[in-house]
Amino acid sequence: MAEDFNTDDMLGMYLFENSQLLENLQEIVLDQKDEEYFDEDSINEIFRAMHTIKGSSAIMMFDDITKVAHKLEDVFYYLRESHPQNVPHVELVTHVLDVADFISGELDKIQDGEEADGDSSQLIEKLDKFLAKIKGENGVDTTEEKPKAEVKKEAPAAQQFYIAPMASASSHFYRIYLEYYPEIELANVHAYKIVYALKEIAEDLMYSPEDIITDESSAQRIIDDGFKILLQSQSTEEELRTIIKPGYDIKKVDIYECTAAEFQQGFDGIGSEIRIDLNSSVEEIEAKAEAKIQKEQETKAPAPGDFVIQSKAPGQSKKLAKDKPRKAEKATFISVDISKMDMLMDLIGELVISESVVLQNPDLKVPGLKLDNFNKAAAQMSKISTDLQNVIMSMRMVPLTNTFQKMNRIVFDVSRKLGKDIEFEMIGETTEVDKNIIEHISDPLMHLVRNSVDHGIETKEERLAAGKSEKGKVTLSAKTESGKVWIGVQDDGAGLDRVKILAKARKNGLLDPTKPDSVYSDKEVYQFITLPGFSTNETVTEYSGRGVGMDVVVSNLQQIGGTLEIESTPGEGSIMYLKIPLTLAIIDGIVMKVGNQNFVIETGVVKEFVSVTEDMMIHDPSGVESVMIRGECYPVRRLGDWYHLSGYKTNVEEGMMVILEVEGRQICLFVDNLIGKQEIVVKPIPSYVKKVRGLSGCTQLGDGSIALILDPGGVSE
Amino acid sequence: MVEHDTQKDKYVTFKSGNEYFGLKIEYVNEIIVFQEITEIPESEDYIKGLINLRGKIIPVIDVRIRFKQEPFEYNDRTCIIVINFRDTVVGLIVEKIAEVVEIQEENILPSPTIGKADKSQNKYVYAIGKVGDAVKLLLDPDRLLNDEDLAVINQVETEEENGEGEE
Repeated sequence: MAEDFNTDDMLGMYLFENSQLLENLQEIVLDQKDEEYFDEDSINEIFRAMHTIKGSSAIMMFDDITKVAHKLEDVFYYLRESHPQNVPHVELVTHVLDVADFISGELDKIQDGEEADGDSSQLIEKLDKFLAKIKGENGVDTTEEKPKAEVKKEAPAAQQFYIAPMASASSHFYRIYLEYYPEIELANVHAYKIVYALKEIAEDLMYSPEDIITDESSAQRIIDDGFKILLQSQSTEEELRTIIKPGYDIKKVDIYECTAAEFQQGFDGIGSEIRIDLNSSVEEIEAKAEAKIQKEQETKAPAPGDFVIQSKAPGQSKKLAKDKPRKAEKATFISVDISKMDMLMDLIGELVISESVVLQNPDLKVPGLKLDNFNKAAAQMSKISTDLQNVIMSMRMVPLTNTFQKMNRIVFDVSRKLGKDIEFEMIGETTEVDKNIIEHISDPLMHLVRNSVDHGIETKEERLAAGKSEKGKVTLSAKTESGKVWIGVQDDGAGLDRVKILAKARKNGLLDPTKPDSVYSDKEVYQFITLPGFSTNETVTEYSGRGVGMDVVVSNLQQIGGTLEIESTPGEGSIMYLKIPLTLAIIDGIVMKVGNQNFVIETGVVKEFVSVTEDMMIHDPSGVESVMIRGECYPVRRLGDWYHLSGYKTNVEEGMMVILEVEGRQICLFVDNLIGKQEIVVKPIPSYVKKVRGLSGCTQLGDGSIALILDPGGVSE
Repeated sequence: MVEHDTQKDKYVTFKSGNEYFGLKIEYVNEIIVFQEITEIPESEDYIKGLINLRGKIIPVIDVRIRFKQEPFEYNDRTCIIVINFRDTVVGLIVEKIAEVVEIQEENILPSPTIGKADKSQNKYVYAIGKVGDAVKLLLDPDRLLNDEDLAVINQVETEEENGEGEE
C-alpha cells in the first residue's frame, strides 16, 4: 500500500475517499434536513468531512475545491464553536448540498481526466454572506466569541490542519520523532509513507513539516530537523513501533506518550518536554526553536480555517446528539474495477455453459460405458462451479442504500422548488440487489419519485381542504419476495384520478368506443399512464407533466425483466411497485420440452410436477380448462396451444403438468416432458425481435441449442 | 462505419427467387452454413427464430418470406448471411450465395419507379447495379430489417431521447 506510492494511486485514492466523504455528508445532511438544526455530532461530522476534503484537495492542488471546502468549514466551525441560535436551517442545508454538488462535479471532471475548472467564487460569496448573516443575527454570540478568538491566538496552528481529537477515554497521545539517514533521497516521500501508514490507526494526526508532498525542499528539512508527528490513536506504543521502525531509511525512532493537553498544544508544547529528555538531539532543540518561530507568526490574526478546535469538556452533555446505532465493525474492503467483475461474470457464464457441454456430451450416452469415476469427478466439478457462481453473485450484490439516498435528495430538491412540505421515509434500504440492476433502476426510480412529489402529493391548501396533515409523505420501500425485489414508491397524495385518465384515454383513442368506462378495471386504467405521451397534468412543470417518463420507466424496467405495478386509492395516495429480478445473470432452471422447442422456467416458482389422468381434467363451457389435483383446482395453460407451436402432445396423460406458484396464484403448465434441472445463463432475446408475452430471455443449453426462458408472471397472467 | 478501400463498391450477391440481390459488403459480418433454428412463438412470420452463433444468440430472418415470396425448403446449400447494421446483428437466410462483385458507382441506377409497381418487393431495393449484362438488385438493409416497424421504432427512440434530455 504505502510502497506503491505514486501520484496515480494518490489521485485514485483521493477521488475514492472524497467521494465517500461526500456521500456520507449528503446522508447526514438529508437525514436531518427536517430538524430544526443539526445536532452536534452532525456538525462535527460535516466539519471533519470538509476539513479532510480541504486538506487532501490542497495536497492535490485543486484550489477551487480547497477554497469551497474551506469556506464551508468556516461556517461549521462557527456553528460548532458559537452554537448560534436562529440559524436558517433549510438555507444551511441548501448551502451544504450546493457545496457537495460543486465538489462532486469537480471530482467527476477530475475522474474523466478533465481540468477541475469549476468556478468557486459565486459559491464562496454565498457562503460568506450566509456566514455574515448568521453571525449578524446572533449578536450575543459575537461577544462570546472574543475570548475564543484569544484562545485561537494562543493556538500554535499556523498552516496546520488540525482537528480536535474525539474525546475518547481509551485514546493515547503520542509524540513521534523520526530521524532519517542524511543520504536518503526524497526523505519527504519516506515521511509521507509513514504518515500514510499511520492514517490507518490514527484518530488524529499532524506532522511537521506540513508540506511534505507539495514542497520538495521539505526533504532537506526532514533530514536536518527530523520528522515530527503528533498522533492520537487507540494503539499501544508497541503497535506503533511495529509500524514505524528503524530501517534503511529511518535512523532513529522516538515515541513518547503525552497528555491530551500537550497534544492540543501542537508542536510548540514540545519544548518543555525536550529539556527533560536526556536523549534530546541537536535537531530536536532546533525543532523547538522552529516551533518558537511558528509561535511568533501566530501573533498575526489567525486566518480563518487555521483553527484549533477544543473538544467539548467531557462532562458537558451532548444534548442534541441522537442515539445513533454503533457502526458495524469495519470489514476489510478492496475496490475492484467493475469491468473486471463483468469480465469475471461473463467468464463464469461461459464456464457454466461449457460445463454442461461436457457433462451432457452425447459421447457419454454411448451404452455400456462405465462412468462411475467420471460422474464422481463431474459432481465435484459442478459443486465448485456452483460455489464459484454464488461467490461472484454475492460480490455483485450491493445494498440499495445509495440509490435510495439519491432519491431523498430528489424529494428534497423538488419539494422545495414546488413549495411542498414533504417527509421522506425509507424502508428496507439495505436490501441487496445485483449491481447491474441498480444501474438500471436508478432512472426509473427518479421518475417515479418526482412524479410522486409533483403529481402525487397535493398542494398544502388542497391537503388541508381534504382534511389531511399539511405535510405530505413519500415512502420508498424495498423487499425481496419469491426471487424478486419489490421497490415501492408510495405517496399519501390524492391518488390517481380514474375519471381523468379515462377521459384522456378516450380522447387519445385508446379505449374501445363501443364500451363504457366501467368495463375497464382499475388496473387496466392505471396502466394507461405508462403509455408514451400520456399525462393528465395540465400544466407542464420543470419536473413532469410532459408525458414522457412513465413510458421510459416501463421500457427501462422491461430491459431488465422487471415490471411496474400501480395501486391507488382515491384520496389516500398511490403506490408504484417496481418488480425486478434479484439477479440477471445465472438462474437455476427447469428445462422442459414442448413440441421440438425447449423452454426453461426458474426453479423458484415451480411447486411440483404431476402426471395427471384425463378424468382429473375439468372443461368449463367457455373453454377454460382446469385440473383437479388432490382436491384443489388449478387453471391449466397448455404451452403448445398458447404459443401455437407444432408437434406438441395434446393428451394430458402423455405429458406433464408443472404447477407454478406466482405471486400467490397457482397455475398448471402443461408441457410434453421434462428434460432436467440446470443452471442457465440468462441472455436477453435480441432486441430486434419484438417482445413476446411470457418470455423473459433465452439461453444456450449444453448441446448448444437455444431454449427460451419463460417469465412466470407473464405465463400465469 | 469506416469504409475501407478494399471494401469500396463491393457487394455480396445472393439468389432469392429468380433475382439476384446485392448487399454492401461493409454490412456483412460473415456467411455461415445453415444451422438449426429455435423458433420464437408469436413473432412475425419472416423472423424464423434464433441461432447460436458461437455463444452469441442472434435472430434470423428468411429473406424470401420477407419479400412475400413463396417459402422454400432449406437444404445444404442454404446459407445465412450475418449482417451488422447499426449494431443490430441479424442473420439472413438466403437460397444461395452467388459471389462478391464490384459495382462501380456509374453502373448503379436508381431503382425504377414506374407507377405503383410491386411495392412489397421494391421497397427494399434502393438501386440497381449492372454487372456486365446481369442486374443485381441492391438492398437497403435498413428497410430490409425494419420497414413498417421503422416509424414505430423511431418514434420510441425520439421519445426516449426526449425523456433523457429532460433530466
